[in-house]
Amino acid sequence: MRRLNKDVVGAVAVLVLLAMAPLVVRSDYFSGILTVSVIYAIWAASWDFMSGLTGRENFGHALFIGAGAYTAAFLNSKLDLSPWWGLPAGALVAVAFSLVVGFPTLRLRGPYFALAMLAAATIMQRLTRIFWQYTGGEEGIPGLDPLFESHLATYYFCLAALVLASVLLLFLARSSWGTILRAIRGDEAACQAAGINVTFYKIAALMISAAVAGAGGALYADYQEAVTPDVFAVSLSITLIIMVYVGGMGTIWGPVGGAILLAMLPELLRGLGEYRLWVYSVVLIFILFYSPGGLVAPLWRWLTRPSS
Amino acid sequence: MLNILVYGAVTSAIYAMLAVGFTLIFGVARILNLSHGAFYGLGAYAAYVMTGLLHWPLPLAAVVAVGFVAAFGAAMERLLVRPLRSSPLAVLMITLAVALIFEQGMFLLFGSEARNVPAFVTETCACAGLDISGQRLLTLGAGMVVLALLYVFIQKTRLGSAILAISQDPEGAQYMGIPANRIYSVVMGLSAAIAALAGVLTAPFLTVQPTMDLLPMVKAFAIVIVGGLGSIPGSILAALLLGYSETVVSYGISPAWTEIVSLIAVLLTLILRPAGLLGKRAAF
Repeated sequence: MRRLNKDVVGAVAVLVLLAMAPLVVRSDYFSGILTVSVIYAIWAASWDFMSGLTGRENFGHALFIGAGAYTAAFLNSKLDLSPWWGLPAGALVAVAFSLVVGFPTLRLRGPYFALAMLAAATIMQRLTRIFWQYTGGEEGIPGLDPLFESHLATYYFCLAALVLASVLLLFLARSSWGTILRAIRGDEAACQAAGINVTFYKIAALMISAAVAGAGGALYADYQEAVTPDVFAVSLSITLIIMVYVGGMGTIWGPVGGAILLAMLPELLRGLGEYRLWVYSVVLIFILFYSPGGLVAPLWRWLTRPSS
Repeated sequence: MLNILVYGAVTSAIYAMLAVGFTLIFGVARILNLSHGAFYGLGAYAAYVMTGLLHWPLPLAAVVAVGFVAAFGAAMERLLVRPLRSSPLAVLMITLAVALIFEQGMFLLFGSEARNVPAFVTETCACAGLDISGQRLLTLGAGMVVLALLYVFIQKTRLGSAILAISQDPEGAQYMGIPANRIYSVVMGLSAAIAALAGVLTAPFLTVQPTMDLLPMVKAFAIVIVGGLGSIPGSILAALLLGYSETVVSYGISPAWTEIVSLIAVLLTLILRPAGLLGKRAAF
């Protein structure tokens, strides 16, 4: 019980810090960075729900993000619907994509799921460039309606979405559902022998993960007021995976912290923005060799360890 | 018609060279090598540096480039992969990190614009309705020679037998005195060398860019899944299948649709026959 209290206090402290930040440093540039960091946190948490819990690495999470973002953009620019429709529609389309890839691959053991996701995201990115008449090609679809007029309101909405998403995912991860998912990571054959429909749970977890990522993608499109093929990029999927590794896989809240830290880091150390992926890959190698459990989650556990 | 036949063969040869190395390292060492595309790209960039910047003669540059990438692959296995072998997830991530570092490193060193690598053969062959550059024909020939040599190497030599033994039963092979770790390094170097050779040969007619590693690797994945993970004959068969169907689609429908071919092939294979065309290990 004490453990949980400390966690709640920590979460509220971080939340207050994030909520105060744009009020202390008043610049559009800074609140923009904050908004993007928060959206990255939503994506990282959704990645972790599927891959962190079941141990099935997803190398093409950008597929769901891109599906959500392009759906929102299509609805807004081609059908003139309010940008609010993009959020549920983006989530739905992402779920449809997750079924197409997840159904054939998740019933198999082996690296098929990881490979198929990577291939699907890469090919979708190529397709957005090839069918430029519909997708706008390299320029994407610009000029979307924003959700809110003010940048600050957008930021707070994204922050609220992050809280909602992480509470939902944490609740699921700590329920008996999450226990089954973790058991699948531990020993899939034993779970099957115990009469658990392993495939069902894996696909359901992927659908939830895709729904959150798709809504996050729609949010990103609305914030940017544009989409480009970069939302399908492999570098985006990989960035998310590194954020989860830094945060601590399988904890949901760790990746949220890792994502916010890593997304802010290169922007704050000015000039590093260009070398972002370079910094990330060095961080990844460091973590693999010296701290396989990540940085954020072990650090928090160490800080809040019961005093003897 | 003849064009489809020959171009399809060239595409298949490139795909086969990439997929064979990828499936070899998975079949023998169980390493899912996400930096395989980086080996391919590194070969092309090494050839570019030696011919474009140092003005070495092309044959020498090609040999040095392939040797360099082979050494790089073996060193990577020794220094980065081996310490992490206890966790398959960590191995996957370290190969990913190497791929990222390749991409970012080339971007920092040479910028994002495309680079040129000279061709071995500059003549084009325009005979009997066929219109194709000599370099593509050379790639086709080299690909067939490499695959044949690889077959002979694995079937007929002592080292090849050791590689086969490890892939069939790593523990049993080790009890027989086969040094598994050294074999892993050799196989990594070998698969890197084949990928680099493909990079050097295709560089003159494909683009040499920091992001060039991604698409060939995705194609290699697709072929390896269709052919069966770990099966070399399977991946050659699948390379032919995919190479030809992409060429047919590109001539018959439109080049835009070729990208979808490999995705559909992967999904169909996984639904109908998850072990792949010639895969032995049950994937369920």
